[in-house]
Amino acid sequence: MDYQFPPQLFPSFFNSGPPHSVLKHSAGDWGCYDRVIPQGDPGPLSSWTFTSRHQVRGEKWLHTEPVPVPLLSPQNAYLWPATPPDPQNFTEHMQNFFMDNCQDSFGCMSEILGENFNFNKRAREKCKTDSTHLTEVKKFLDMLKYKICQQTYTCKSLNAYSTLMSDVVHGIPPELLGALLHEELTEQRDRQLLCEGATGGSLAFIPFSQSDSRSQNGCLLYAGSQGLDKLNFHMVELQHHRGGSSCVDTGDSDPFCFQLKGPIRQISTASIFNEYCVGVRSPHLCGVWRFSERNEPHLLQVVNTKEVATCISISPHVLGEVLVVSESGVAKLWTVGRGMQTVREEDHNLYFNAKSSWRWCEFSAHPRVMLYADRTGVELTDIRVNPALCHTLFRISNTSGCRSGERLLLSRYLGNVHSFHHLISTQYSAYIMDERFPSVPMLKCDHMMQSPPIFCDVIPGSVFSGSAEDGAKTTKVLLGSHSSQEITMLQYSGGRAEACFSLGPPQALLRPKDSLKHLPVQIPHRLDTATNRLSSPATGLTSIQKKGGREAGADECICILQLTEAGDIFYQILEPEQRDASRPSTVEDEPLPQQGTKKQSRTTAEQLHSGSQLFASDTSSDEDVIGPTQGPTVQRLVPETQVKERELNVLSDASSEDSESARKGPKLRRMSLQVVVNDPELDPVSGLDADKKDENGSKNDTDNTEEPSGVGEMSSGSSSGLSHVAPVKLSNSTLVTWKHWLQKLTHWSREKKPRPHCLQHFTISTDDLLPLSDDDDDARDFTEEEHVQSLRSNLKACMSKRSLLVHRDIAASLGAPDVIPVPDPVDTEAWTDQLSHRLTISWQGEEVWREWWEDQLGLNREVKVEALRRKRRREKEAKRATGRRLELSGSFTSSVSYQSELSDFSDSTGWSSAASQGAWSENEGAGSQSEGFLEHGTPRASSPSTLQTDTPAPTPTATPQHVKEKQGDQQTRSGSHTLSLSQTPKPDSTPTSQRKNKRPPKDYLSSLFAPQDEPSQHDSYFLEEGSTMHPLTPPVAPPSSQLRSSQSVPLRTPRADLSQDAFSLSGFSQSLSQSSQGRLGLSQAKKKKSRMGF
Amino acid sequence: MDDLEKELGPLDDLEDDNDSSDDHSSIGTKKSKLPLVNPICEETLKETGFHQSMRACLEQIRDAMLHHRWQEAAEYMPCYSQMLEDTSHSTAQQSKELFWRISTEILHHHPNSRLEDYNNIYERMKHSGVKHYLMICLEHSFYLMLNGHIEDAKHQLSVAESWRHGKESAAQYQRTKLIQAYRSLLDYIIWCDKKFTHSKTDYHDAGDNQDMHSYFRQASVNLKEILKNPGVWDPFILSYVEMLEFYEDHDEALKVLNDYAYDNTFPPNPNAHVYLYQYLKRHNTTDKKLMKALKVLHVLVPSHELMLEYSSLLLQSEKKSDLQKALGVILEMLDFACWRGNVDVWKRLKAIIQKLQLQEDWKDVVSEKMAARKDWWPALHFTRFHASQDSEENPELKEVKASLTKILCPDLTLKYSAGQKTIVD
Repeated sequence: MDYQFPPQLFPSFFNSGPPHSVLKHSAGDWGCYDRVIPQGDPGPLSSWTFTSRHQVRGEKWLHTEPVPVPLLSPQNAYLWPATPPDPQNFTEHMQNFFMDNCQDSFGCMSEILGENFNFNKRAREKCKTDSTHLTEVKKFLDMLKYKICQQTYTCKSLNAYSTLMSDVVHGIPPELLGALLHEELTEQRDRQLLCEGATGGSLAFIPFSQSDSRSQNGCLLYAGSQGLDKLNFHMVELQHHRGGSSCVDTGDSDPFCFQLKGPIRQISTASIFNEYCVGVRSPHLCGVWRFSERNEPHLLQVVNTKEVATCISISPHVLGEVLVVSESGVAKLWTVGRGMQTVREEDHNLYFNAKSSWRWCEFSAHPRVMLYADRTGVELTDIRVNPALCHTLFRISNTSGCRSGERLLLSRYLGNVHSFHHLISTQYSAYIMDERFPSVPMLKCDHMMQSPPIFCDVIPGSVFSGSAEDGAKTTKVLLGSHSSQEITMLQYSGGRAEACFSLGPPQALLRPKDSLKHLPVQIPHRLDTATNRLSSPATGLTSIQKKGGREAGADECICILQLTEAGDIFYQILEPEQRDASRPSTVEDEPLPQQGTKKQSRTTAEQLHSGSQLFASDTSSDEDVIGPTQGPTVQRLVPETQVKERELNVLSDASSEDSESARKGPKLRRMSLQVVVNDPELDPVSGLDADKKDENGSKNDTDNTEEPSGVGEMSSGSSSGLSHVAPVKLSNSTLVTWKHWLQKLTHWSREKKPRPHCLQHFTISTDDLLPLSDDDDDARDFTEEEHVQSLRSNLKACMSKRSLLVHRDIAASLGAPDVIPVPDPVDTEAWTDQLSHRLTISWQGEEVWREWWEDQLGLNREVKVEALRRKRRREKEAKRATGRRLELSGSFTSSVSYQSELSDFSDSTGWSSAASQGAWSENEGAGSQSEGFLEHGTPRASSPSTLQTDTPAPTPTATPQHVKEKQGDQQTRSGSHTLSLSQTPKPDSTPTSQRKNKRPPKDYLSSLFAPQDEPSQHDSYFLEEGSTMHPLTPPVAPPSSQLRSSQSVPLRTPRADLSQDAFSLSGFSQSLSQSSQGRLGLSQAKKKKSRMGF
Repeated sequence: MDDLEKELGPLDDLEDDNDSSDDHSSIGTKKSKLPLVNPICEETLKETGFHQSMRACLEQIRDAMLHHRWQEAAEYMPCYSQMLEDTSHSTAQQSKELFWRISTEILHHHPNSRLEDYNNIYERMKHSGVKHYLMICLEHSFYLMLNGHIEDAKHQLSVAESWRHGKESAAQYQRTKLIQAYRSLLDYIIWCDKKFTHSKTDYHDAGDNQDMHSYFRQASVNLKEILKNPGVWDPFILSYVEMLEFYEDHDEALKVLNDYAYDNTFPPNPNAHVYLYQYLKRHNTTDKKLMKALKVLHVLVPSHELMLEYSSLLLQSEKKSDLQKALGVILEMLDFACWRGNVDVWKRLKAIIQKLQLQEDWKDVVSEKMAARKDWWPALHFTRFHASQDSEENPELKEVKASLTKILCPDLTLKYSAGQKTIVD
């Protein structure tokens, strides 16, 4: 009985004054009992019991599915960006504005200035003679389309013009525009963080009384369409069977739609004797509809509010009384059909200046006392007297436990729970207030939500169900937030014979934005679309309660529906935790009694699938399948008789296709999905499975016949390891629903794409650069097409089997590749003549070839002699070393020689290191270049060089000097040229006599080079190269003469990859080393002087 | 009022500024109109990898707990306990309280949690910081009380009572008072226990009596003390008054009850008046005094159950004006949703009107009372729907209501009576 007041309340302090406490932790009131009061008659100690204000455990309600389920198929919607706009980015937005609305922004001045500018080169004659030509500017402006470096591409004349005229060309002064834009962005950001206008939510459910125990009928009211400006009355039915499927069925009925002239912000409903009254608020319009179970909804009256309306509230006492409050602070009692009467007017906030014009109004237990709320508190206003009599119901500063900065967000009269209770929510807590005892909250729960709750719904606990196990006694408060989509469920009880107490900690419910991770993986671009869509802010929250009946099989459950700004409704069903673990799964088998034949067939169709698991093969083929069934939605007008009845523009909803698609569900599934039967042992409803297995098998067969390719088809049982590992298993019907939903979403999103705001990349067409050979084009295309197709299908098959695509599988389709027989190796031994020998040798590389020549000419005799002598000496030393301990110096030299022998760098290594020690060290850049060269040189040197051990230090002298001789009067000597010269280490040690002596054979050698080389002398040539640094020219380097003849092909490839500098230098130094080598072989007195160069 | 607001305005601004700078330090300098909730675990500037991982851990725990996945949260807890070792953080105090709250909540939902576990966590966390010592003590004693360990709870409270630490904040002062009051409440319970055994054995023992009295004295000091603070003290005042009544200190009892009911600094607690009324009634006070008490209650809660008694008292009264008052009281009760279908109230209304009809000017009196209700009472009580519902569910009510329609709303033709006709037909 509501008139009872709890005989004992929990003790609490009554504080007045601004609150100081600040919440420092995020644990809310976890782990707290809050307060306790003793209960029981005074008696012995053991007879006393206590109750706490916060009781540890509440009812346990569990989700039937791990994800919320979409109720309607996705409609096209405009989505706001997920991240709130940054007001600092206003310049970017200004740029967009200038680009998009150039006529508005620059129209005036362009007309005036336009005559004097000429952008068109060809039309020069037509224009006035004194007009300025701006072809350069034009070119530059064309370039602006691309992503280019703003520093590189500048236009001097444009800069000059912009300096000259930047303050006159704008139609709207940029300062003004910027300020306004900044303001707007700030506001948008605020709105995204907290959308005041959406308080209350535009989703409501009116339960019908005539419902059987198996389902709950009712009317779902929601805002639909793109701008959320269409009011829908949709008959829905909540079906729930314990252990079986639960769903919200939209049935076959189309929703009743009313097109409004503004976005729907709030829907408020009241029912009196099965007559339903619906109040709808949009910013400047408020309307009241009325309907009943038998009568269609019809509009009673619409009012225009001058100020933005912030609240509409339908009286639960008297049919047709509505409270409307606007931002101006005027609350009006609107008796529909009779007019409005101002009941309260406030210029300021109630208790302190909260700088908010948000107001709220609710009815209370007395039909002539209303609640007037703003951010600072709530007042009970008695409107029987004029001026209204007010007293405080809730006040931020007076209520104990309020925190600093706490503001009221929502107030709701809980008439259907307790006629004196009000729910008041702030960003931290939810309060239950009893209007008989104002200022002191009966209950305070921290809801622990991240973003402020502005929607709420209350599910009354059955007061009388004392007999039924304490399952459903608690009242559930659902709080929903806007941007983060959070829903939190709080449970409380009491308020009549006992004081209010809360039960259990707050429970966070499922959010649509989290659902994707429970669903089959989406391909990235779909994932993006779906994520964006699913994370659009919530704009409404409501619930359907199905009460448990006495008879078996009628279980209670609650269904929570959430509307998002994209116009999607998601629902989740909760059922109380079962005491017995065994789930009666047979319920589902029974055909539902009160359903039409159509529905029955549908359920059987669903039952067909209930045992099977469906895999979403998420490829483009799905879209192809879904395409025709989806089709373009045509909005059709309802018959005129209905239109006449309504005062607003009424359009029937396009979402009639929902039901269509739902009916087509099984067919669709057969067409687009591969049915994979789960292992019966693993399925929790195995009993069902056994029944359905045959059917599924036959279904597979039909699928097979329909799809000859048999892609992704699997025999039953093989997918046993692939079931979902979620705590609550995702049911197949849900999976199918989601799959269709996502498919349709992709369909929509493909059709409409917003203008891309990012600039294009500056691209260079490469079509003509690498032309493919065009011969036998058609034939190859055809076969290739075939190959690709078969490969694709094979790949698909493998993917569904989760196996690898190996060559064995596709060999058949590809056919055996033509085996080209390897030609016999050339038997070089067959030719004994010298020329053949030389040519054979030349294949082995330059050095070998050179050696051959040296051998042939007897140039290396001394070297050989020296080598022999050295060998002997070493042997002698080795002998000695075995006799006594190794000397340090000896070990050192040997190690050096060892190093030089080991390193593959050949002569060039020694050379470069010597060079870097010498004159090169003055140029750091050159040093690094030498490294590049080194790296490059390494692979080249793979051909074994016999000269490795030779000291490179003295060698270079010859080359540069030789160069000098040849190019002595070279005039243009760039830095690099000098560099190349400076490489010459002071070769004083080199005996010139040796050089002189070796002159003739060297000349002979050079003459040998000559015919193979480029026309110019290779030395001179490399000098040129050094000076001009143009390495890409065909004669790469002097050694290339040899290289080309012998190794040109393998060597070219690495060269092409090199940067220009490294390349040229390498070529250059190679030539150096080359020539030096040659001379080395000729001239060097072979002494072990390996340390000299270092 | 305006001035006051202007006075308050800048003050509040300051407060807001402080707040928002706290709230949005992570977002930027942007100031929102509405101070939003702190991000759960705010990223601080000087943060080590340890803090980062602790924050991530806390987020996981929190998420699991909000979704009631207790097992998962419990698994994370061993990792999070490292947070207690952290001394570098400026919010060490908060993190300890946080730790206590989380672990207690997990224990609440643990299937095998034992008393020792609870005692362990309470004792350990109690001594980890001075600021939450009293709070945890109080909660510990609540836990013991709820589990029937009244003696242990009393011990805990006594320990907490004697705890002193430097300067007290307002919140700590209030907690101290609460601890004292709860300790006294437990004293009272022991007192009741003694009284019970006393009455049962019917054996007078001076020492026992003395013992009982000492409990009374211990309790009364603190109970009297807490009643001086504005607040809701229903259980405390009831026990205090009961003990006072036992020792026949009626003056003190009445004074305490009167203070509780009529002190302006106290919130308008309907129970205060109810207790006063009940006390007066227990002690056979005159109707006049009873009516006076009920009159105040009527102003506060016109829908209170006791209004039926009030109206009957008024009805019995000889004064002419009292009858009109009774009519007003009953009509006002009927305004409220919860009384609309109550036969007793309608019958009482009928009785009042019948008595009123003996007077000559009864029509004026009724129309005066009904003038304000004229435009909405018919819709509230006498529609066709009401008629059908009442006749279905409560024919007696229907009869009473139907007989009153013409009297209450003589000018209007109501569907209610018409509905009756059809039913009669």
